[in-house]
Amino acid sequence: MYLFVEQLVNGWAIGSLYALFGIGFGLVFSTLGILNAAHGTYASWAAIIGYYAVVWYGVPFPVAIVCGVFGGGIIAILVDQLGFQPLRSRRVGLLGAFITSIGFWIILDSLAGFATGQQSLAFPARSYPNALVEIGLIKVSQIQLTIIASLIVVTVGIHLLIQRSRIGAAMRAVGWNDLAAGLSGVNSRIVILLTAFLAGATSGLAGVLGGIATNNVHFSLGEGLMLKGFAAVVVGGFNDVRGTAIAGIMLGIIEVFVAQYISTAFRDGVTYTLLLGFLILRPRGLFGSASFVRA
Amino acid sequence: MEAFLDFWAAYGSTVTFSMVNAFFALSTYAVLSAGVLSFTTVTFAAVGGFLAANMVGNFGLSIYAAFFLSAVGGGLASAIVATLFLRLESHWMALASLALVLITRVVVLNAPGLTGGVYGKVVPMSISQLDLLILLVVVTFIFYRLHNSWYGLTARAVREDAAVASTIGISPFRTQFIAFIVSGIVGGLGGAAMAFTLQFISPETYFVGMAFTMLASTVLGGSFHWFGPIVGALIFTALPATMQAVVPAIEDVAKGIALVLIMVFLPRGLIDPRAVGLRRAAKLREEREKRAAGENANG
Repeated sequence: MYLFVEQLVNGWAIGSLYALFGIGFGLVFSTLGILNAAHGTYASWAAIIGYYAVVWYGVPFPVAIVCGVFGGGIIAILVDQLGFQPLRSRRVGLLGAFITSIGFWIILDSLAGFATGQQSLAFPARSYPNALVEIGLIKVSQIQLTIIASLIVVTVGIHLLIQRSRIGAAMRAVGWNDLAAGLSGVNSRIVILLTAFLAGATSGLAGVLGGIATNNVHFSLGEGLMLKGFAAVVVGGFNDVRGTAIAGIMLGIIEVFVAQYISTAFRDGVTYTLLLGFLILRPRGLFGSASFVRA
Repeated sequence: MEAFLDFWAAYGSTVTFSMVNAFFALSTYAVLSAGVLSFTTVTFAAVGGFLAANMVGNFGLSIYAAFFLSAVGGGLASAIVATLFLRLESHWMALASLALVLITRVVVLNAPGLTGGVYGKVVPMSISQLDLLILLVVVTFIFYRLHNSWYGLTARAVREDAAVASTIGISPFRTQFIAFIVSGIVGGLGGAAMAFTLQFISPETYFVGMAFTMLASTVLGGSFHWFGPIVGALIFTALPATMQAVVPAIEDVAKGIALVLIMVFLPRGLIDPRAVGLRRAAKLREEREKRAAGENANG
């Protein structure tokens, strides 16, 4: 029982990372219609930026996170403006943007390799809170609690932003039909920049927290998150942040339990089979709406 | 002659690998030319590659028989995949095919009896460049014939607009199913070619990296004509090798930048029949106007 609850929390924390990462990926896909292969590199870069902020300037933990988050957001905006903006007027569709994003993936990935010297780095042990907190029966590390809380805050925040605010309505409008949105006075430029920034920032948050939690800052950090985050987005439904959050947590828990009680060999297999099953049987995901036009 | 031999010593393997990649690019092109964006070529290649490795390694078959079986295996796999995937809308199909690539690796990892699992599999035979070239030429000839056949015409119609195509009596499902089968056969051949070239295959051989490379080569070369993927594969394979000679440190970065630049400035790829047609039409128009102007001046 003890082990069960502890693994439940572990799974929840891992799943929260997947979900944090997936939220941005889904946001870009549903709003801008881009399948962004470079999304994982934002997380790697954010972790690297956070790491150097700590190592070089000795900034406290929250500042390091903010650095990583903003770094991820700014890189995402740069990629969007340099790579995707020129394609928008030409209507090259999903494929052109996807190939461009592969290009950026290669560029950012190898640059990240240089930045880390092809090595695996670790945040200095004292630079982040890592004490164990006792909750009822079990002990949970502070970093896991931070991850779990971050996902809840980000999910609620972005959900409110999209569903309740004017700019959120504009984002939904652009996602549904960007031409019609532009005709009715939505400034798509701002929507594009905001979406790109949010995507980069959430991915960055997942990157920094993941880098700390796994004690491993590596240029391919984003790649692992990418595959699982992608699964979370598909299972949860592309156009609903809440769905991604719940599906991410679910996948994390399933993964940990499969590894614990069945076999580590099947860990990824179960996740990807779920992913394929959902794509074939229920492509709009658990919570997605049927009238999702873009995809 | 001396210079040629030097070149061959330095870049012979690059040429071989671009031929192997040309199979994958053609396989991706096969489905793309019918309007399907799919990464499943990786799966077909894995089927072909491991099938070939087993046939040669465990059953002592000849390399040609192994190629034949790989093609059959790839084709069968594609029939199954096509039946499942063709019910999906295009964007979901792209995602589902990516998921299938991820699952392929998990399956390969967990079937050590057939694939060697984590440790990979050694392939005890290699293919000569000439054989590879002949095979590629045969496959290309088939693509050339397909392009100019009724099937090629329907594929282009389905790609432009599936709804319109079905109103004039073309079945998008049938067209895309055939496209998948062609993709599977060529993908299986490519997988076997890869196995015999590398002589060692592991779960990582047939994974996301390959999926992205083949799609990038196809789109880079141009996905509207069968010659495009071959050119694209050649460039995309040769680019890193040449970059390595010029700027060794940032070889990958340069590859990425080249990819982005080509997509931004030539989004339809290098080989684009439409651009050729447009240029020809523009030239014709110019000549006609000149002639008309001349007649006006005379009259």
